[in-house]
Amino acid sequence: MKPAERKRAQLTRDEMQHLQWLLGGLLTLVGLATVFYMDVEAWVLVGLTTAATLATMWWPRLPARLPGIAHTLTFPAIVAFFVVDLWLKAEVLPAMVRLDILLLLYRNISYRQRRDDLQIIVLGLFLVIVAGVLSVSLTFAVQILVYTGCGLALLLVVTLTEGPMGLTKPAPVPPGVVPAWVAQADLSLLARRVRAVLDWRVAGLGVGLFAGLVVISTGLFLAIPRFQLENSMFLDRFISKKARSGFSDTIRLGDVTEIQQDGGVALSVDVSDQTQIPASPYWRMLVLNQYDGGVFRASPGFRAAEFEQERTDSRLRGMARPVRGEEVVWTFYLESGVSRFLPLLGRFDTLVFREVQNFRFASRPALLALREEPVSMTAYRVSGFEVASSLPDRTFAERWRRLRNAQRTTEETQVRLTLEEPDRLALGQVLAQAAGTEPLPAGELARRLGDWLRRNHAYSLASSLPAGKGDPLVRWMRSREPGHCELFAGSFVLLARAAGVPARAVTGFRGGTWNGYSNNFTIRNADAHAWAELFDEATGAWVRADPLAERGNNPAEQVRGEPAAVARVDRSWTARFDSLRVFWYRRIVNFDQRSQAETLKAVKQATETSGRQVREFFRGGVQALKAWIAGPWDVSRLVRLGAGGLGLLLTLWLVREFGGAGWRALCGGRTVRGEDPVRREAGRWLRRLAECPPVAPEEAAVVADLQRVRFGARPTWPPAERTFRRARQVLRATQRRSRVTRS
Amino acid sequence: MSDFVQPAQLSEASAALERLRTNMRASIRGKDEVIEQVVICLVAGGHLLIEDLPGVGKTTLAYSLARSMDCAFSRIQFTSDLLPSDVTGVAIYDETVKEFIFKKGPVFANVVLADEINRATPKTQSALLEVMDRARVTIDGEAHAVGSPFMVFATQNPVDYEGTFPLPESQMDRFLMRLRMGYPEAVDELEILRTAHTAYDAIALNPVITRRDVLGLQALARQVFVEDSVLEFILRIVAATRTEAEFRSGVSVRGGLALRTAAQARALLRRRDFVMPEDVVEMVAPVLAHRLAVARQTSDALEERRAVTAILKRILASIPAPA
Repeated sequence: MKPAERKRAQLTRDEMQHLQWLLGGLLTLVGLATVFYMDVEAWVLVGLTTAATLATMWWPRLPARLPGIAHTLTFPAIVAFFVVDLWLKAEVLPAMVRLDILLLLYRNISYRQRRDDLQIIVLGLFLVIVAGVLSVSLTFAVQILVYTGCGLALLLVVTLTEGPMGLTKPAPVPPGVVPAWVAQADLSLLARRVRAVLDWRVAGLGVGLFAGLVVISTGLFLAIPRFQLENSMFLDRFISKKARSGFSDTIRLGDVTEIQQDGGVALSVDVSDQTQIPASPYWRMLVLNQYDGGVFRASPGFRAAEFEQERTDSRLRGMARPVRGEEVVWTFYLESGVSRFLPLLGRFDTLVFREVQNFRFASRPALLALREEPVSMTAYRVSGFEVASSLPDRTFAERWRRLRNAQRTTEETQVRLTLEEPDRLALGQVLAQAAGTEPLPAGELARRLGDWLRRNHAYSLASSLPAGKGDPLVRWMRSREPGHCELFAGSFVLLARAAGVPARAVTGFRGGTWNGYSNNFTIRNADAHAWAELFDEATGAWVRADPLAERGNNPAEQVRGEPAAVARVDRSWTARFDSLRVFWYRRIVNFDQRSQAETLKAVKQATETSGRQVREFFRGGVQALKAWIAGPWDVSRLVRLGAGGLGLLLTLWLVREFGGAGWRALCGGRTVRGEDPVRREAGRWLRRLAECPPVAPEEAAVVADLQRVRFGARPTWPPAERTFRRARQVLRATQRRSRVTRS
Repeated sequence: MSDFVQPAQLSEASAALERLRTNMRASIRGKDEVIEQVVICLVAGGHLLIEDLPGVGKTTLAYSLARSMDCAFSRIQFTSDLLPSDVTGVAIYDETVKEFIFKKGPVFANVVLADEINRATPKTQSALLEVMDRARVTIDGEAHAVGSPFMVFATQNPVDYEGTFPLPESQMDRFLMRLRMGYPEAVDELEILRTAHTAYDAIALNPVITRRDVLGLQALARQVFVEDSVLEFILRIVAATRTEAEFRSGVSVRGGLALRTAAQARALLRRRDFVMPEDVVEMVAPVLAHRLAVARQTSDALEERRAVTAILKRILASIPAPA
């Protein structure tokens, strides 16, 4: 017997069918995973289908044990289930999702034919698309990518399995019968065989084709006209809500600290000029003017007085005056589950939502509240921010002057202390210790109170209120217990009010990091913060007072510009992942006509820039060459030149002599098409020599050797590389001869 | 023993084949190509059908081959009244030993010339089926091996159909090759005319190779290496004949095997221990043409042969040879 020539290993038909079965199961699992993002009552079904799919993937013999009657009853049972489901729940989409899962369940507990595998692809795709449209999350992008990859692999395997079977349609497997491939099924053996069959070049080709598909899809995505789809969506209620507390208009002591426990991204901000971001920005969300027994809230009066009527619009004009010159544009991407109050840096000129929203706007305190907490990412673009630590409020200044003149300051909520008498006395004592008994200007009062609080209390997220009766904040102030930001801010507000200065608590986020990969500002839930605002009679404005910030309250001390931007750049792995999320929001979800135009403009600019760079590079190269040629030609230069030339020649020779052998060794004895690369090379030389046939006997011997390498048995080959070298020499000789003959 | 042909074996085989060809050229003038194909057929261990007009040297060719090999030669003139037992032999009752003894027919030789094979009845023609396929004759349940090596040289007239029985496809498929002698070139014919005419059995030829040598050559030809791409080339050619609309039916699996074997034998004649695509190309017409028939009506065998050969050429042109 002749030894078998090396041939590309291939999976048998049974192995292909086993692989097809596993891929079908995998697609089912990927599809089922999307149900977690939908608020659909299907947990039992999902659990059952997942368990059944995993079981049948592991033990493919299981479907044969399903009694025949089950197959007979399946179809009427599924139809009956769907009808009853619709009748009882009266909701079409959840019923369709449950029907989809049931069908997936059945397809995984019975042996599938080709059309059933195609059905699995469609059923799974339905789940992925529905969940994707509902959530518009980055997970959808990952799922659709994974699903597409698995789906393409399954289609390829289905096609390859159908090939050897010819055009005859395989008969369906009768109930109770174990198909031939199942009898041979062995997971570990299949894994080894797939590994043996998989060639890195085939895998690379597959990845390349998949990447090509993604690139083409991206191109189409960029090119198709944009239209607003969100407003036609009425399916928000099916989205699974994230269990996060978020900011609401009532904050108990410890609520903000609870939010800080979550390290997830709360807000991403694109800024057209990052040097405009303060060193420690305060993203205001909510003003809480009323305090009562450990709870800060926005009083009904405040809400009624400050917030306008609800509007339904996508555009909003603020109180700030438009800025001349280059306008800084801030684009906010607020994650779902954070709050219905939108973070803002202060007053602004214009705010534009991505889609029409129902909202209420409070222009003086610069607050914006949506009607409901958004269930998906909310994007809005703000231009003309007045980034300052004070907020002028003429209306309140007027009212406050009137109340003071009338000696009726206690009527103002923002200075009222709803405390029992002992607490009031204790607060007075604390105030006397902290700021003395003399009336002070707001700035000085803020500084003294902040200093006192920081001196007597350490900052800690894990704080506990001292036991006892009375107001919790007063108890804490009188103790030396460490505290979190709410305790500091709350105490500050009470002390300021005790001093007769209007004060209120503000919640939102402080700080954030600059993502060095996606070039945007990232604010996490861990950046949640509470601080205070004092009313400064002298300026008629609410001045930010953060008792936890030693610097920063004074606008003059605020660091801005390049140093601040450099200081907060985040290049960690978390930032890398966050940049993906930002890319998803910025370039996919929020991709409107403007973004499309911006992208195309960016592409155009990039093309022009790279073209310019290439031209400059060549121009520079030519000039450098000219300068080099014009330089003095001394011995050392000639030696260097010679050495360089020799090195180049040596490299060329090495590539020529051993490059082919190295490549063939890398190919491992076969090409992508299953050919032997050495034989292919010999064939190539034979074709070249056929054009100029050799005449000399030694040249004919080279041809004979090439023929042997191309068609002979491998053990009888002459040294292949030497033969190719000789072939090259013969080719040159014959070409020279033919040139001479022609001339 | 190695799985591949050794250089020494190749040299010996080449020398033996050259002796054989030179010896045959002494009696058959100007037919080097035909001689080469006959030798290929011999080395491949196949049977040969020569389709040509009478008097062009068919019998002489067969005889000179047999004589060059020091093999037993027999000639059977097929006629319509020839019986199968006239070919294979017959069991007759021997009074002296009181039992049936097998009297061997003319097929018990190494080279058998079946002259004008299509003149015999189908029954007699089919008597050759077993012996051509298995190299043995079964009479009364007892198998009798014929000579080894064994080669049937059949001839038939492609034009004169009167009173003939065309060979069935199953019979045709058992011939490895079909050749045509053709008239000699004028210069060769002049030379033939100059020499004194003698009957073919009066030709004096010395055997140049032994039967053992022939068996060795046949074994060596089977060892000639055929690379995968060449096998796939053969497969594509065979498959193309099966899908060609102008053919009544395609080539059988036996036909594909025959093409491979003939190509191996040709490679050996060319002093190679591996088959090249050109070996396959050269063997396509002699090996496959007689196994194919055009779907349309033809006036005679010559026209059909021309049509089949033209279609095979077209098929070959459409299939790229491995390079």
